[in-house]
Amino acid sequence: MSNTPNFVAPGQQRWLRACMVCSVVMTRSRFLQEGCPNCDEFLHLRGSSESVDSCTSQVFEGLIALADPQKSWVARWQRLDGYVSGVYATKVSGTLPDEVRRDMEDENRIYIPRDGSQTEAD
Amino acid sequence: MVESARLLDDREHRELDRKREMEQSYDAEKLAETMRQRYGNRRIAKQFGDSVIVPKRLLMPSVEDPSIWGVRCKEGKEREVVFSIMKRIEERRGTKDQLGITAAFERGGLESAMKGYVYVEAYRSNDVMLALDGMLNVYPRSKMVLVEIKEMPSLLHITKTETLHPGAYVRIRRPAKHAGDLAQVLDVTENGLEARVRFVPRIDYTVAEKQADGKRKRPGTYRPPQRLFNEAEARKRGSRQITGNPQTNVWQYNGEEFENGFQVKEIKIQNLQIKDVTPGLDEVTLFVTEGEDGTENLDLKALAASLRSSKSNVTYMSGDVIEVYEGEQKGVVGKAVNVQGDIVTLRVIEGELRGQTIDVPNKGLRKRFKTGDHVKVIGGSRYRDEVGMVVKIVEDRVTFLTDQTNTEVTVFSKDLREADDIGGQGSLGQYSLLDLVQLDATTVGCIVKVDHESFVVLDQNGDVRQVMPSQITNVIPKRKTAVATDRNGSEVRLDDVVREVGGQHRQGKIIHIYRSYVYLRSNSSNENAGVFVTRTSNVATVAAKGGRINAAAGPDLNAMNPSLMRNPKANGSMPPPKVFGRDKTIGQTVTIRKGGYKGLLGIVKDATDTHCRVELHTKSKIVNVPKTDLTFKDKVTGRVIDINSRGGFGGGRGGGSAGFGGRSGHGGSGGSGWDGSRTPSLPGGLAGSRTPAWGPPKSSGAYTPAWNRNPDTSGSRTPAWNSGSRTVNPYDGNRTAYGGATSYGGSTAYGGTGGSRDPAWSMGSKTPAPDSHGVGSRTPAPGNYGGSDAWGSGSKTPAYGASAPTPGASDAWGYNAGISGTSDAYGAPTPGAGLSAPTPAALNAPTPGSYPTAPTPAAISAPTPGGGWAGGWGGADSAPTPAAGAPTPGATGGYYGAPTPAAYGAPETPAAGPRYDDDD
Repeated sequence: MSNTPNFVAPGQQRWLRACMVCSVVMTRSRFLQEGCPNCDEFLHLRGSSESVDSCTSQVFEGLIALADPQKSWVARWQRLDGYVSGVYATKVSGTLPDEVRRDMEDENRIYIPRDGSQTEAD
Repeated sequence: MVESARLLDDREHRELDRKREMEQSYDAEKLAETMRQRYGNRRIAKQFGDSVIVPKRLLMPSVEDPSIWGVRCKEGKEREVVFSIMKRIEERRGTKDQLGITAAFERGGLESAMKGYVYVEAYRSNDVMLALDGMLNVYPRSKMVLVEIKEMPSLLHITKTETLHPGAYVRIRRPAKHAGDLAQVLDVTENGLEARVRFVPRIDYTVAEKQADGKRKRPGTYRPPQRLFNEAEARKRGSRQITGNPQTNVWQYNGEEFENGFQVKEIKIQNLQIKDVTPGLDEVTLFVTEGEDGTENLDLKALAASLRSSKSNVTYMSGDVIEVYEGEQKGVVGKAVNVQGDIVTLRVIEGELRGQTIDVPNKGLRKRFKTGDHVKVIGGSRYRDEVGMVVKIVEDRVTFLTDQTNTEVTVFSKDLREADDIGGQGSLGQYSLLDLVQLDATTVGCIVKVDHESFVVLDQNGDVRQVMPSQITNVIPKRKTAVATDRNGSEVRLDDVVREVGGQHRQGKIIHIYRSYVYLRSNSSNENAGVFVTRTSNVATVAAKGGRINAAAGPDLNAMNPSLMRNPKANGSMPPPKVFGRDKTIGQTVTIRKGGYKGLLGIVKDATDTHCRVELHTKSKIVNVPKTDLTFKDKVTGRVIDINSRGGFGGGRGGGSAGFGGRSGHGGSGGSGWDGSRTPSLPGGLAGSRTPAWGPPKSSGAYTPAWNRNPDTSGSRTPAWNSGSRTVNPYDGNRTAYGGATSYGGSTAYGGTGGSRDPAWSMGSKTPAPDSHGVGSRTPAPGNYGGSDAWGSGSKTPAYGASAPTPGASDAWGYNAGISGTSDAYGAPTPGAGLSAPTPAALNAPTPGSYPTAPTPAAISAPTPGGGWAGGWGGADSAPTPAAGAPTPGATGGYYGAPTPAAYGAPETPAAGPRYDDDD
């Protein structure tokens, strides 16, 4: 693995997907190999093609290259502070499967929908 | 969606409560310990829980935070730039060149306002320059915009993508072949990222063949038209590619799937245009599914849903009553006092804030109506311009009762505004309400409703159908002069009020007349805008516009007045004798001067005092026309003739009758009748000069010239007349006549006869002309003539002397008669007349009286036949007949040969003239 893991060449960008929980954007194969860097604990994407399909979305908008999640206001606003540096999306369409959401709730995790449905509410 | 949002909301609250409980039960340290235990072993997401409860407004940027610069970049390359930046960040991380930027982002996209920019977050602009230096597709040197702090959140503002619901309409972006085509969502995948849609395919059935040929299809050049999938055609072209089930009408063809003719395809949401679809009605009708009962089933709900997401944003106008249904001011109701861009200034009219003026973004607003409000549909709804009264309001859906059709219509409140006008629109394009339009070659319809993009028309068969403007060929212009006849034969025109005779006895004003159909409009019905169609034969006039005389209402008094019918030249002092016998118009060639048949040529088949039944030449149809609306024409030349003036003179009549072999008797008699009555008066009342004229009258039978008018026209007559009247110089007169009668060698002979009978005779016998006349045979006729001369000369003793011959003549007549015994058919009357004075008298009903009175009349009557003859000669067919009877066929031939009419006019006149003259 190179030292620029988050770089995706233009030719590969068609395979990009965004995690519906944290909105991190990676290629499908990387999700499969490494899982979600932020949420794999409970999403268990690594190695599960099915989970990748259901918990990540290829419909997303607005890429964010996050260099310093701690200092960046963008990260804070997007509620990405605390996540790893990398590429994120401003909006991820799609809905997390119900059982995943239930699991998250059970674990006291807050699911922030990334599809724009909740930003205005709070 | 609302539901799930609510659930989430609940969940959050519960979560919050739980958290508070936790915080209460543990002290901070314990909490910290717990947190550490729980999250300590995790690399990340330490603040996971915290971030959730921090509301966004507490996250607003401050001066402490890094700034954001907008940097131009190449449009469409925003993502690549962001990845390049990411790459550079990672490459230089931990080196001395580590980038000073904290983040970079883009908000590109086809419709984004922020395309062509990437935004870089950094503390110093120099960091941005360094980060982007030498990078492809981004131009930090050209333009860099520092984003104000308060604008920063809006850079990252996202809106939820409209969720798709089955039945909604979308437009396809890709595949390019279908780009822009309307599609209907059948199903959406669970994660909401793909939709199964159906649309009208664009299939090129020949593609299979081409591929079979091994030729590669050149993409993009040709886009087949939209057509429903046709299994038969697909099979024809490439039966291998097609599989499927005819029962369910589901097919696979060339890797595509088709159901009921529609193509069904799973398309990613991003390849569908979900907003601003604004399906046109014509497009939507492609998706109209026919129900099992054959009724069209258009899913208006889906259509409405699609239209709802239309961008054509609500436009508020000052004065609108508006309710805030979303956001902080939720529930506030106010009246708009000002609208500027997206900001609406409201004066609150209800609740605690009453009287205050607040500014609200127009998002989250909706218009508020009350039940009973009179509203008009504006905007993109298919009910646009309908006007009606609000009857029900559910959230932002308003149901109202339309003024025009009295149907309930439900639209979104944003598409409504208070109406100050009534009715609604009456036109679409060049067509407007109540226009008569041509639908196809045989069908017309009256527009009874104008919809947003279509019309409802009532066709001539009474069927109501919906048509698009494109289905209308043209408007049939309203003809003010259009005329029809109703059931009673009365003339009906536009704007007349008529009533149906059968059926529902509906009454209405005529708005269109089309062939045998009338479109009526009544105010008593709302159905089809009060318009209904019926046949003209099924209506009766109730009131004619402008109080037009109804033909059925009574006879035309003018036409009934015989004095008006008579030749106006006739002396006022003359009593208007009653006209008996056959109507003189019968058999005439006429043109119609007025009414629906104006200009048509016909023959009078029958007549009453006022009306003629005219058989049209153009089509075999007999129509009833007032006599006053007829122009009588010469049968041959087509020149206008005056039938009435003729009628005034016996001669004329005689002539008239002369026209008809059989009638000559009539005519003669008629003439004599006239004469008879007049004759007495003539001597006294009329100038002497006339007398001769009268004499001629017989000749007038002779007057046939008058007749001649018919065949000939007055031209020839005039001289004839002249000659007659000019008796002064008989010879001249004769000659004149001759002149006129050129064609009548025979008549010449007559003339001769007139001059001196003998010569005439001799002439008669000798002259070929006579022969042609059959004069030779007529020798007797000459006798007659002599007689007639005698007649003509009736007054003149010598003539009387001549009258002796008269008998001879009469013999001759008799002869003729005898001869013509057969000829009776032709001129039965004539000979009869010729034979005996009384006979004619008998013939002339009126005459008799006069006849007996004076010998003259008798003479006249005698002549009448003579005249008849003369006329006959010239005119009376009867004459020829006997003549014909008289052996000379040549004569006959001659006669006939000479155009009979011409013969009439010319010969008679001269003949008549001469005789008299001679007598004179």
